[in-house]
Amino acid sequence: MTHEPQIQILPQKHRSIFFWVLVVIFLITLPSLIFYTTGYRLSFENEETSIVTTGGMYVTTDNLEVDVYLDEEQVERPRLFRSAYYIQNISAGQHRIVVQSPGYQTWVKELPVDPRVVTEASAFNLPELAQIRPITLYETATGTSVYFSTKIVDKVLAQATSTEAFYYSTSTATTTLQINSEFLFVESLFGTTSTSTQSVFSKLIEEVGKFGFATATPANAPSSSFTTTVERTLRGDMELFDEAGELYAKWLGSSAAIPYYFCISDLPVASTSQRYGEHVAVAVEAARVSTSTPLLIDNNRVCRTQVKLNRLRQDVFYYHFFPNSSDLVLMQLQDGIYVTEIDDRAWQNTQLLYPGTDIQTIVENDVIYIKDGEYYFQIATEIETN
Amino acid sequence: MIENSHLLPYARRSDFKVARANELTGKDRRFFRFLEIVPGVAAWSTIIGIVLASIYTPFIAAYFIIAFSIYWVLKTIFLSYHVRYNWKRLKHHMELDWEAMVQRFSYDKYYHLVIFPFYKEPIEVLEQTIQGVLASKYDAQKLIVVVAAEARAGAEAEAVSRSLEEKYGDSFGHFLVTIHPDNIEGEIAGKGSNVHWALQQVKKQVIDVQNIPYKNILTSVFDIDTVIYPDYFNCLIWFFMTVENPYKSCFQPVPLFTNNLWQASALSRVMAMSSTFWQMIMQERPEKAATFSSHSVSFQALYEIGYGQANVVSEDSRIFWNLMIANDGNFEVVSMSYPVAMDATTAPTFWGTIANIYRQHRRWTYGVENWCYIVYHFTKNKSIPLKKRWSVALLQGEGYWSLVTNPIMLFILGWAPIFLGTREFHETVLSYELPIMVRNLLIVAMFGLVVSAVISLSLTPPRPDGHSRFRYIVMMLQWIMVPVTMVVFSAIPGLDAQTRLMFGRYMGFWVTPKERIN
Repeated sequence: MTHEPQIQILPQKHRSIFFWVLVVIFLITLPSLIFYTTGYRLSFENEETSIVTTGGMYVTTDNLEVDVYLDEEQVERPRLFRSAYYIQNISAGQHRIVVQSPGYQTWVKELPVDPRVVTEASAFNLPELAQIRPITLYETATGTSVYFSTKIVDKVLAQATSTEAFYYSTSTATTTLQINSEFLFVESLFGTTSTSTQSVFSKLIEEVGKFGFATATPANAPSSSFTTTVERTLRGDMELFDEAGELYAKWLGSSAAIPYYFCISDLPVASTSQRYGEHVAVAVEAARVSTSTPLLIDNNRVCRTQVKLNRLRQDVFYYHFFPNSSDLVLMQLQDGIYVTEIDDRAWQNTQLLYPGTDIQTIVENDVIYIKDGEYYFQIATEIETN
Repeated sequence: MIENSHLLPYARRSDFKVARANELTGKDRRFFRFLEIVPGVAAWSTIIGIVLASIYTPFIAAYFIIAFSIYWVLKTIFLSYHVRYNWKRLKHHMELDWEAMVQRFSYDKYYHLVIFPFYKEPIEVLEQTIQGVLASKYDAQKLIVVVAAEARAGAEAEAVSRSLEEKYGDSFGHFLVTIHPDNIEGEIAGKGSNVHWALQQVKKQVIDVQNIPYKNILTSVFDIDTVIYPDYFNCLIWFFMTVENPYKSCFQPVPLFTNNLWQASALSRVMAMSSTFWQMIMQERPEKAATFSSHSVSFQALYEIGYGQANVVSEDSRIFWNLMIANDGNFEVVSMSYPVAMDATTAPTFWGTIANIYRQHRRWTYGVENWCYIVYHFTKNKSIPLKKRWSVALLQGEGYWSLVTNPIMLFILGWAPIFLGTREFHETVLSYELPIMVRNLLIVAMFGLVVSAVISLSLTPPRPDGHSRFRYIVMMLQWIMVPVTMVVFSAIPGLDAQTRLMFGRYMGFWVTPKERIN
């Protein structure tokens, strides 16, 4: 070891060399990273090196445990923000995205990807077997729902599972039980309680009558539900309404805030039909000449303000926004309760929430209440805010 | 008329020690005021500019942010290179036997004048400081120790000074207590005015009485919490005897804020070590260096400029600019790469610590007032080489600008185009790739923190009894706070200081509390 101080500070020559090396690295790195972040990639396919432009897909899901596939290849789960998948390096063209999970229904969409552009989509996956929470007139002191027969098993639990325990009472005696106030509330929602209670919830009960355009009625549907007026449901700037036997979602807000699925690239009819489906091409062309729902044209994209919802060729007895969502719609059809997405690009995914013909539905404060025969229950939803 | 024949010609100017625009008149006043406004305008223009660019030209803003992130990574590598080099030099210098090394010189004639300005710090802080001087490997009879008290601190401060004089007065060649009077016209209360007074008093009461040549005195102005390492004075002599222009040099040690490191919170430690690292970098970048905190210079040099400047906040750096400008640019900072130990900023409570650190860094970053000073005098003193004037002005200006804007740009505004950009931008791959790219580049830059963590552990004092070994792990992990501390305790107080200067709301000297927390 030297016994002299290392008096010299870092030599200027060393610093200069180091500095200029870093400058060169900067000059090389900057254009490379700008090209990369704008979607350009080096391609080594066919033993030839070329530069290709790629796009991306951004898919949000309501279920953290799903698997996402792009063109049959599984996409790696994100480490953070696990409800959102950003898929990079996608070549331009049509791509099929599948979101699935065991025990849940599958969501599928085929969408176009353009160079340097990210295509958005929002997937939802309902459980194959609905999860219900029983609501009974009587409950134990600890709050457990009480049934006086096991018919519930055949009637409801044959097509659903319960999220909460309940209790079968072998006796009809109710002295040790307590009245469940929630039951009274739900019962009043469906309009079967006393007059006084009905008056409190009369407004809500009128909501039940929204399925005015139905041509067939479930057995226990309230008689007051038949009406020919156009009913409208609003959430934020999104409106649901029925007209001439069809169900529509309409955007009432500004063009700047319009959800992405209302908008597509402004292309000839044939291209639009190929990329998004014929129904979208037809709807866009209709909107071009419409005065009531005109097309919003913004640079290279066109936006409809109204989308027809897929009711599976069935009559709709009830509809409402799915809890905590303005992109999904809950519909009670002839053979059950379904949830459909407003996004009609390619097609609308529609999933069965709860099957049945002898049922009534009410969404109150973002809670779905079902009356199936004599049983009342709530349907649990895992779907969170979009 | 004040006798000023001993002053260097440029130091005789009436505006030589100008601190604020309102001390000037006419065109000079307007020009100085303009200079006071420039740093704040530059910083705010940058920040607002990025916000506006993110809204109206998000693509350009995104490209700029990518470029800036790459620049940041490379800057981190560049600075880490300097830290690592200085760390090796520092460790090497700490191992040397400076007492033996200075024997080759005839240095008996040199005195060390050590000035300890203080305000209301507790006596145990002062005692530790004085004992550090007493323990140095240098002839104590060649030491002139000045304890510089403030009259505004009251009788208690004077009593503390006198008790130290009584206890240690005979231990040194000379021991002087000075009491800086309150409310001297033209001064601002603080360390600068106190030191300025003490230098005049020690000249009058000791130096001139003892007839000690000014050229034979090396003056060290130390913060009151400065505990010197035993070989500091020998090391200083060595550098003084070997540099090319000893009377045209300031000697800058490395401040290690380690006195209370084991008692300080993780936040205090990170800030303290970050400050140390910055000074270590400055030790290897003489073109950007100025004196900071505790430092040394010949008494002759100070005498030639009329001592310090009593009307500024950042007096520790201002003294170097005074000397550099008065000497027509012929003055330099010599990096000693030898440590002095000081206190990390603390307080009895967490929020108190945050407040103290914020205020201390705002005071430090108010050093931007020096930029106004040097640019003003660079337009006046044409004897300083033009190239030097331009390079110093630009380098210092860039330093103050980047101090304030870079952390905000990197950790906050880097995401602005994503939140503020147009619909067209949001649909692009660039919009989605930008946060990923910036995040990845910042992760690369964070590797610089690993260097920091390792070096900081090597500079940490031995673990005292009663402190768990687990604390070492905390001391490694604490560095993840740096992105936050850079914004909260560098950028924001810096912006605060520059904004105050911009609006002419001049700051006073805030005394950092020095406490010993058990």
